[in-house]
Amino acid sequence: MTSAAGTATQPAAATTPPRKGRAARRFDVNRMTMLGLVAPSVLLLLVVNAYPFVDAAIESVHNGSLIGSGSFVGFDNYRSILTSGEFWQAAEFTLIFTVVGVFGSWAVGLGMALLLRADFPGRGLFKVLLLLPWIVPVVVSATAMNYLVATPSSPVPSLFHALGLGTPLFLANPTWARVTVCVYKVWISFPFMMLMSSAALAGVDESVYEAAKMDGAGAIQQFRHITLPIIARPTYISWILMIIFCVNDFPTIYLLTGGGPVSATTTLVVLAYRTVFGNFLVGPGVAIAFLMTLTLVVVSVVLYRQIRKAAFQ
Amino acid sequence: MTALHEADASDVRVKRRNPWRWLRFAVALIITAIVLVPVAVVVLLALRPGINSTSHALFTFANLSNVFRTTQLTTWLGNSLAVTLSTVAVAVAVAAPAGYVLSRGRSRAVSGYSLLLFIVQSLPVITALIPLFILFAKLHLVDSLFGIGIIYVGVSMSVAVWMMAAYMDSIPVSLEQAAWIDGASLFGGFYRIVLRNSLPGILSTAIFTYLVSWNDYLVAIVFIRTQTKYTLPLGVETFFQQNVIDWADVMAVAIVIMAPPVIVFACLHRYFSVGGIGGSLAGQ
Repeated sequence: MTSAAGTATQPAAATTPPRKGRAARRFDVNRMTMLGLVAPSVLLLLVVNAYPFVDAAIESVHNGSLIGSGSFVGFDNYRSILTSGEFWQAAEFTLIFTVVGVFGSWAVGLGMALLLRADFPGRGLFKVLLLLPWIVPVVVSATAMNYLVATPSSPVPSLFHALGLGTPLFLANPTWARVTVCVYKVWISFPFMMLMSSAALAGVDESVYEAAKMDGAGAIQQFRHITLPIIARPTYISWILMIIFCVNDFPTIYLLTGGGPVSATTTLVVLAYRTVFGNFLVGPGVAIAFLMTLTLVVVSVVLYRQIRKAAFQ
Repeated sequence: MTALHEADASDVRVKRRNPWRWLRFAVALIITAIVLVPVAVVVLLALRPGINSTSHALFTFANLSNVFRTTQLTTWLGNSLAVTLSTVAVAVAVAAPAGYVLSRGRSRAVSGYSLLLFIVQSLPVITALIPLFILFAKLHLVDSLFGIGIIYVGVSMSVAVWMMAAYMDSIPVSLEQAAWIDGASLFGGFYRIVLRNSLPGILSTAIFTYLVSWNDYLVAIVFIRTQTKYTLPLGVETFFQQNVIDWADVMAVAIVIMAPPVIVFACLHRYFSVGGIGGSLAGQ
């Protein structure tokens, strides 16, 4: 990274007008300055993010504990997790949780962004109020959700009963627990998608719509053929970020269901956490986290390159 | 940049006599009301007399004063404030210069740095936590507020750098070039010209980092062991586990942790924007 950051300054040096002294020296000073500016962040990224990633790779082929590094066991940890049903069930729910989380929050967020783009009374207040789910700490909203749905006599099950829809056990029935967790995730995440969509929509030139109206395009046609293509790139970026947020999400699930009932809402993150800090199996736990990380990095780098390619065309 | 306020001015001309206005208002009102149910529940339960209370008042602060008296809430609040404020200060100080490099540098190395930030952002925190726990155990940083502060700065770094870069992109390079002609150094241009004009970007970054560290549960539950070192989320969760029945007290604790981010956001939301992240990610 050091030499790489150094060459970064070439354009800045080129645009800097000549000053007293030799050109070569000035170039060096600027290069050192840029390096100095970026160095603290690189150091932090290396210590807090890159080092643990490398160490996780090493831990995943050892049978260590939280205090000792243990002995080399080859791919035994990977073999044991890849052959366990628990892992694949967690992988399956991670996929469901991510797909519902990304597209659910995007659909709601974009819908709200479109609604809030038009003028109506109190619009500014709504914009702020709708961000609350994202701002309120998950610990707080999970507690509120527990109050609302946890027992058959909680408000929401009572409402369902009163409407003649039975009394679903929102957290005790495996299927309902999955639905509840996904809905809760959409509730938490849609404000972020709303902000991203609002920013993207703000860049759309109104005159394009005027022209489309002249040509007789209806509201749905305008949305499909003008709005969506124009906001495509920011939309892809928001999807990638939300994929990352969903796969890595721990508190949303852990605080609401703890991964239960009977592991129905256990995602890979929750499984890794339980394996390491509940069963004290560091090797397998790290292996789960590491597999998940690799998949996520590959997926996001591929998508990221796709975007940059689209951006430069 | 201004995700929240951009469109206001252009809409003034169509304000009169639009029959859709009140329909939109009604739709927004209904959706917002449904969305805010969990938040309303916290506020209502916290401010109503608890099940053990004989009071019939509509509103009471008894639950609040009760939890401050009977729990270590003051300690947890102090811990959260200390960790959060230091995290915000350090994160801004580190992210602002890095954002400048990302914004102004135009070379392969900067693309590489940008890709590094992106990969780091996608690394699950849980993967980093286990090796960091082992490392921090050797350095005596487990069960330490300083230790979790380092991690908060690290995990928020990518987005913080993007936010700073996105804002600095909106400051014309010609301003620095003028300063360079007047004899300013590269650092002088960054410090006197760009940083001085980046207050909205700095606030945006500060709010984001604040939310990350104030709301965090995972890092705290892994690293903090002693009750006197609990941050608010850990305190709330522990208290909730022990008092499942008395919702009034639980919600009173919850409202204490919820209020600061809501107040900060209510005051500063006009400066907050995540939209720019898209731009700096895609490389304009």
